[in-house]
Amino acid sequence: MLTDPQDHLAHQFPLEGELRPTFSGLSDFLHRVEDMIVKELAKNAKSHAFDGFDVNWEDQNETVSCKHRLQHLVAQEKGLHVTSISWSCTGSVIACAFGRVDDGDWSAEKSCVCTWNLDRRGLNPKRPNTVIDVARPVMSLSFHPTSPSLIAGGLYSGEVVVWDTNRTQDPVLAQTGMSTDAHREPVYQVAWVPGQRRGEMLVLSAGSGGRVLLWTVDGGSLVLSAGYALVRQQVPHNSSLSKGRGSSNVGVTSLALSPWDSDTFLVGSEGGLVLKCSFSAQELAAAPPDGESVALRAPAQFSFSPRGGPVHSLHYSPFHRNLFVSVGTDGLARLHSLLQPDPLLSLRVSDSYLFGVRWSPTRPLVFAAATGQGLVQIFDLGRKSLRPAATMDQLTSGQPAYCMEFNPCQTDLLAVGNADGSVNIWHLSTELTEQGHRETAQLEQLANEVAE
Amino acid sequence: MAEVEETLKRIQTHKGVIGTIVVNAEGIPIRTTLDNSTTVQYAGLLHQLTMKARSTVRDIDPQNDLTFLRIRSKKHEIMVAPDKEYMLIVIQNPSE
Repeated sequence: MLTDPQDHLAHQFPLEGELRPTFSGLSDFLHRVEDMIVKELAKNAKSHAFDGFDVNWEDQNETVSCKHRLQHLVAQEKGLHVTSISWSCTGSVIACAFGRVDDGDWSAEKSCVCTWNLDRRGLNPKRPNTVIDVARPVMSLSFHPTSPSLIAGGLYSGEVVVWDTNRTQDPVLAQTGMSTDAHREPVYQVAWVPGQRRGEMLVLSAGSGGRVLLWTVDGGSLVLSAGYALVRQQVPHNSSLSKGRGSSNVGVTSLALSPWDSDTFLVGSEGGLVLKCSFSAQELAAAPPDGESVALRAPAQFSFSPRGGPVHSLHYSPFHRNLFVSVGTDGLARLHSLLQPDPLLSLRVSDSYLFGVRWSPTRPLVFAAATGQGLVQIFDLGRKSLRPAATMDQLTSGQPAYCMEFNPCQTDLLAVGNADGSVNIWHLSTELTEQGHRETAQLEQLANEVAE
Repeated sequence: MAEVEETLKRIQTHKGVIGTIVVNAEGIPIRTTLDNSTTVQYAGLLHQLTMKARSTVRDIDPQNDLTFLRIRSKKHEIMVAPDKEYMLIVIQNPSE
């Protein structure tokens, strides 16, 4: 079993080491106040004075409601699905990528990326504020974490593009093109990660070719800065998987960056693998070199127990450094601890596939899952019953809901992208967004349970 | 300065205490058990608030003065013991 590094070692501020200024009177001051403070601390620990005492600062919102139903008619007429959505860092703009999630060779299909500014007056849900035409289907999207006009996207062809919505003429700021460094297969995940230099952000892309690549923006091109290749032979504890048959590449269908540890990331694969990976891994990948300008490394360090089908979505808990949740085609939401291979909890969400999962940014015990039947189910792990705390029907006549993102600023807004080409913006009730008294403690308890 | 460290340790190990910070008259933290950024936040904000609380008490009655400040929030209680040269801030989670 792995152990968790210690946090919060007491230290002296601002100087460390032998030389520390002696503060005159500090000892006397502490002597004077110590008794009083300790008395109050003891009284507090025993007091029931504030039990059940709650203050309502905000307006209580009793219900979950659909605030907007955004559509781009041109894309809908072509039968395109919303494959990925992203909120801008300011929380005002929602961008959605169009493509198709079902099988088939439609790599020549033109598609687009649309944005709506929800805070602007005169918002027309049927008319996006920006429409960027893209020559190929877009499979993944991610807004830059600090520049509200930059969006990175991964295409079906394997290309990675960065658009600048401030540019009127040609929104493409940088792209990988079809170079030897680029992915050869669809890019299912893009994200922005901090680079070595201060303020520098790199674009991370991952796809079904089993490559996880890091790109720097250099002029009009995305230049490969580092790369990782996931190869079946190098997956740790691989005894349970069948050998041979098909390519040895581990196709990446989902990826999650850790908000706690900038070196770690999780990868979910087409074959149902969930792997813990490290950016600083040194071992070279066993993939045959294909003209890449950078030596690819093998990032996988730990294997969680595999699922019975592609892992569509992974998300780290924003409240506990060791917890994450994963969903896939088996209809289950699995809560995992990073410290052990077996899940802590397996929740049956739906009889259909699950395409997305996201923890609530404000309630440690709450997460949402998007189903293939067009529903978003919200679960509250603090409740005794394992039935959903809320069900949001995306009104897609049974077509899947593919992606979900919480608004980073207005945390009670949840955007859901669907197969019928619509993006629904939901306003969650106060009950689902306001943190309860002992939630973090309950989550800690859950995380410390050891699976049988 | 062993006495200072021992006193702070006694306070810090009390039931439910999340952090202990000592701030000087300028609002600069000089001892802490929390990380740097959290410490700087607490020190700056509470120093300001304590000064405001003190002037509120003295404006109402110039013969009176602030002796202790407590802020109860959903998650914790923050206690401030003010003084001429220093200020002690203790953050406690009372329900632990």
